[in-house]
Amino acid sequence: MIKVDVFSSPGCGKCGQARTMLKAVAEELGADKVQWRDVNILEEMDYAVDLGVMVSPSIAIDGELVFASLPSAGKLRAELEKRLQQGHAA
Amino acid sequence: MRTIGKLATETDVTTDTVRYYEKEGLLAPATKTVAGYRLYDEDAVRRLRFIRQAQQCGFSLSEIRELLTLKNSDAACCRDVKSVAIAKKLQLEHKIRALQTMSGALSGLIAICDDETRPLDECPILGALENSMARQSKGGKR
Repeated sequence: MIKVDVFSSPGCGKCGQARTMLKAVAEELGADKVQWRDVNILEEMDYAVDLGVMVSPSIAIDGELVFASLPSAGKLRAELEKRLQQGHAA
Repeated sequence: MRTIGKLATETDVTTDTVRYYEKEGLLAPATKTVAGYRLYDEDAVRRLRFIRQAQQCGFSLSEIRELLTLKNSDAACCRDVKSVAIAKKLQLEHKIRALQTMSGALSGLIAICDDETRPLDECPILGALENSMARQSKGGKR
């Protein structure tokens, strides 16, 4: 199971639309394979700092900061599929 | 309208600071007297107070310039400013974390010194720093 943490602040409309699109990518891959969590950066600032998040929005996958801005749906899908394949191979 | 001296007194800064902000493009006089003296309006007072307050929140002058641009932009909105503030807070939290790590390292060094009367060449703090430098340079050569 891949864990995706999406750090953003509430009320950010720009993030909201893009986030919905990216969340759909995760849902297409299956809730049993990808666990999606919207993280309110203001409430979990310590966790964001632990992962090295410097800007909002950012995406961490399996506890590792992977995207320092919201990626395109294609980029996120490629990253998740790569990790799923690595997981199966391991 | 007020002179640079009055503006500085009113906003609790020095005239050099006002000139520096002007040089950095953050502030400008509304007009000049015939003799060439700068004169500032109420907007300059507000702008200067804004700059000082933003500096107290940790914003650098270039970040303040960005905030002032947002403030005067019709296309920008509150969330643009909020995202700049969040980025600054994240930066500060990272700095705090780094300072805590440094402070912890110093506590460790202070703790190893159990006899303050020892000569300098037996100082365990200096010794530990030297050993750590040697370890780092060995590690760097790999």
